Amino acid sequence: MSKSKQRSESKAGEAEGPDGGWGWVLLAAMFISTSLVFGLMRSLGIFFVEFVHYFEESAQAISWISSTGLAAQQFFSPLGAALCNAYNTRMVVMTGGFLAALGLILASQATCLVHLYLTMGLISGLGWGLVFSPMVATVMANFTRRRTLALGLGFSSIGLSSFAFNPLFQLLVETYAWRGALLILGGLSLNIVPCGALIRTQQQSKAPEKVDSQSRSSCADVLQRVSSYLELSLLFERPYVTYTLGITLFNVGYFVPYFHLVAHSRLAGFSEYQAAFVMSAAGATDILGRILSGWFSDLGHFRLIHLLSVWTALAGVFIMLLPVSSLTGSYAALMVISMLYGFCSGALTSLAFAVVPKIVGVERTMGGLGLLQLIESGAGLLGGPLSGFLKDITGNYVASFMVAGSFLLLGSLTMVTLPHYFSRTDPPPPQRRSLVDKSKSLHPELQQMKSLPSDSNNQTAQHSGR
Amino acid sequence: MAASWKPLLFQILLMLVSCRHINTKKSAPTPTPPVPITPLPTKMRSVVLKGSSHTGEHQAERIELLNPVKLSLECTWTGNQTKAPNITGYWTKDEIEIQDSRLTVSLENEQYNLRRVFSINSEENLGNYSCLFGNEAKIDFIVAAPHIKDVRDKPIVSYVGDSVVMTCKMEETQPMPTSWNWYKDNGTDKEQIFAAPQRYEITSTKWKTRLQVINLTEADSGPYYCGAVYAISTSMSHVELKVITFMEPLKPFISILIEVVVLVTAILIYERNRSRKNDEEESGTNADQNKKLPQGEDSGEEESSSMRKRNV
Repeated sequence: MSKSKQRSESKAGEAEGPDGGWGWVLLAAMFISTSLVFGLMRSLGIFFVEFVHYFEESAQAISWISSTGLAAQQFFSPLGAALCNAYNTRMVVMTGGFLAALGLILASQATCLVHLYLTMGLISGLGWGLVFSPMVATVMANFTRRRTLALGLGFSSIGLSSFAFNPLFQLLVETYAWRGALLILGGLSLNIVPCGALIRTQQQSKAPEKVDSQSRSSCADVLQRVSSYLELSLLFERPYVTYTLGITLFNVGYFVPYFHLVAHSRLAGFSEYQAAFVMSAAGATDILGRILSGWFSDLGHFRLIHLLSVWTALAGVFIMLLPVSSLTGSYAALMVISMLYGFCSGALTSLAFAVVPKIVGVERTMGGLGLLQLIESGAGLLGGPLSGFLKDITGNYVASFMVAGSFLLLGSLTMVTLPHYFSRTDPPPPQRRSLVDKSKSLHPELQQMKSLPSDSNNQTAQHSGR
Repeated sequence: MAASWKPLLFQILLMLVSCRHINTKKSAPTPTPPVPITPLPTKMRSVVLKGSSHTGEHQAERIELLNPVKLSLECTWTGNQTKAPNITGYWTKDEIEIQDSRLTVSLENEQYNLRRVFSINSEENLGNYSCLFGNEAKIDFIVAAPHIKDVRDKPIVSYVGDSVVMTCKMEETQPMPTSWNWYKDNGTDKEQIFAAPQRYEITSTKWKTRLQVINLTEADSGPYYCGAVYAISTSMSHVELKVITFMEPLKPFISILIEVVVLVTAILIYERNRSRKNDEEESGTNADQNKKLPQGEDSGEEESSSMRKRNV
């Protein structure tokens, strides 16, 4: 499939400059691998019922499986980024795909719940962590003018694939029981490996240079190297920290509707079918929002950070309006607000990643994404239980949604404190404080970006990462 | 005078004989006495069907029974427009007319009324009792034990050597079964399953029952029935078990594996050829360019030309 896309897009890509060409192939690879990571994670709910029945454990114990998987993916993201900086992105993603598949295949042989935590949770989560951030960073490196559109198209895979995976997984479970279904899922996850194989790296990025300048690996040198691979220096920069804080605040509120919208609709008096339909509609507008916001952002009329603030603020407002609309008892109002919320949340997702290179510079995007994933994971873990807790106290979801929406607005306000927020053009991304010779120290796909003027919207030179 | 004693004596003798007959019947162990010692409780059910102009009216009523009862059913029909003074009424069980149930029903207070008492003792007495007024009105009484509502229609799939759990539950709003049984279909009939170590494990609570089959083999496939036992009968629900070997999911898995290996090999070979071509082309360009520009840009240029030339 990737080859045929190459064939059709290569001719078009040629005319456009640094965007396109091999970038489209990598986008297809990202589409597939992201759907096999997050689309798969979202559809694991089908196995939930089977596990409860087979292992005769409580729902809470079973839900820890997917929580462990998600937490592992986010926790190991910086590791994935560091390994890509140290070694070869291609190998890292291929290994990640292999690990993700291995976890699922081993899970098919599980005889107790702990096995599932270790295999589906830890091993697959590690694999997913090694795949997601590097893949996103690679795609971002291969697009400049169309970066946000590419991201939007790539992330739309999550929504689309969870539409396809839900009935598919249901069919697999009915035909082969959960063991056979997990085995086949492991096989499907192996498709991440060819996606990783498509990533091109002409030379090692940071490792050889380090070896040149530091011949002996003493403890301090190793630590320095590790810290540079992990881009820990980012944690000391105010723009990055501010941005990460903003994203973390978003994450507290972002997932609340996904967890609670159905339950809230039921409480408001709508039927199960109507509630599920609301979720599907929100999911559909989510996909639309990702793509459209990506396209619109790349038109260049506004700075990405401004657009991000707008979408986030709107999403926050719509989340707050959700309980209000359903309290009036009108199904149409609930549908409309949910669809608007879906659109805004999709819109902000593509932008949230695309802004990272603007803040940290393209070369550090890999590490930046890894750390971002790790830090925002805490917020996701906090948001769900917090809203559940509020619901338990107040008895309905109004407070949860209000708090969730306010977190989004708070995050939006945090963004405002970024330096040069109110200027019309993007500020220059900070120069990397590298310890080695600049000419050799850069990731080959990204080095062209660095050599050009800072406003990376005006890319004219040929991009090497085709 | 002697002549009048003879028939009486004969009758007494006859009675003695029949009494002895009854005595022998009683002394042999019989499951149910022909005449119950304690009288059955009586349950009354009465339904009124409002008449209207069109014929063929129909109404159904569900009656749930746990224990043997004497069931008294009463049907009242307000009649149709032509209120005939007399009409034939009769009873059917499961669409078969009950013998000697035909009566002539007369119009009283603008209504037709049919009543009959049925002894519901065991499972064969359960069914669909109907009272019919001529060909014009029919009221059904569906007499049954509480039935198990949620039935899983898809088969449960499991693997050889694995264990599987099948459950049945009765809604708690319905009466509680006295016990639960499990049955397996062995071709002709249902055979009851008893707990056996390392084979079957049955755990039942008041409303739920759970059958665990350990160490499955392919012979264990087939329909299984759980029965909620009530005094009057046992209500069955069935669940299908399908045992497959691990070869089944392995087949699609292997095919996906092959596809992945083929793709990866193809991509790696393609990449290797491309980089080999790049190396060849690079050695042809001047060395100065190689020093000034990073290697990546060069191969980027070559890539674009090679992509144009490439035919897939």
